[in-house]
Amino acid sequence: MATTTSTSVLCVERENRLLNKLSVLPGILLLAAIGYGAKILQHSVNAYAKAHHWTFPNIEYVLWAIVIGLLISNTLTIPKVFQAGIATYEFWLKLGIVLLGARFVLADVLKLGGISLALVVIEIALSLVLMTYLGKLFKLKPKLTTLLAVGSSICGFSAIIATQGAISADEEDSLFAIAAILALGALALFIFPAIAHALKMNDVSYGLWAGLGVDNTAEATAAGALYSDAAGKVAVLAKTARNAMIGFIVLGYAIYWAGQGHAKEVTNKAAFLRKKFPKFVLGFLFMSLLVGFYTFSKPQVASLGNLSRWAFLLTFAGVGLRTNFRQMSKQRLRPFIVGALGEVLIACLTLGLVIGENCIWGLGN
Amino acid sequence: MANDKSTSVSAGKSAWLSLDSWAVIIALALALAVKFGVIKTVPW
Repeated sequence: MATTTSTSVLCVERENRLLNKLSVLPGILLLAAIGYGAKILQHSVNAYAKAHHWTFPNIEYVLWAIVIGLLISNTLTIPKVFQAGIATYEFWLKLGIVLLGARFVLADVLKLGGISLALVVIEIALSLVLMTYLGKLFKLKPKLTTLLAVGSSICGFSAIIATQGAISADEEDSLFAIAAILALGALALFIFPAIAHALKMNDVSYGLWAGLGVDNTAEATAAGALYSDAAGKVAVLAKTARNAMIGFIVLGYAIYWAGQGHAKEVTNKAAFLRKKFPKFVLGFLFMSLLVGFYTFSKPQVASLGNLSRWAFLLTFAGVGLRTNFRQMSKQRLRPFIVGALGEVLIACLTLGLVIGENCIWGLGN
Repeated sequence: MANDKSTSVSAGKSAWLSLDSWAVIIALALALAVKFGVIKTVPW
């Protein structure tokens, strides 16, 4: 009797697990449909404009995917059945970044990384100081200020989640911080390329700026790719360098808040760093290393690059779908003002840094 | 938004491998599939 019961419980558990896994399918299919629709739209619109001799800007599939996603999420209520699959956009982003490593030779990564690493460190330091100052100025709760500072200096969403756990911050605070970072990231998608076009920035400079100035990895990748393929690659590289710092910054804040008696003490710092370090950064570097050792033929490298593009296609559709301006406008105003003010200042400062670096070292020339 | 967050957090807690690790494993599996001709060409 007991054996029969435990067997049936196991069967039910197995079925539940299978159902959980299947529950992501509708959302993934929606991401794929939007992404592929965007790709078709890019070709059709360009072919139509060419056939009718129109002067029409080449709108990349990236923008179409985001716009279609935004239209759906802001005009319709997305049924619950799609939600789990839409949330997988972060997985496609990380998969895309690891595969993108195949399009970089490690020597290039180190070369550009060496030049931009200094900028990454400067950007992180500036963002932390600036956001902390603005948080104090606008009398935000100290932990909310910490979350905003981490979100704007490293990598938006994931950094905020990691820090919330490490410093025992309120769920509500992290929601405000995430909403502010996401809303500003969505705006950056349109503002960054427009400014870059106006300033006639080259691909490397712009990619570096997008990687330094846009906080969430998905938006930074999209903002880069909206300008050009080459800019997209540099944006990912700069953003990846920022992401690599997540463990150190979160550890620093965890130690600070534990010292204040408002968070759990970190006993094993090495284990903490290992746990918080984003593994996809290692995957990206490993893939670059493999390509550097000629593990793959040229057509194979092209295939891996194309696989990364397909993964990003799903990511960009997800970026549009999860951006809901109505929901964001319901958040409280002060964290938004601090976030917006900080982001604008950081964007201006990083633009100045990149232009300065371009003048001295001639990036991309 | 709230849904987004709770999904990622709970997924992170219950999964025996993190999202990052899965992304790396699947990317490497795809790279091997391309290397050994299981996936011949990927068009764009």
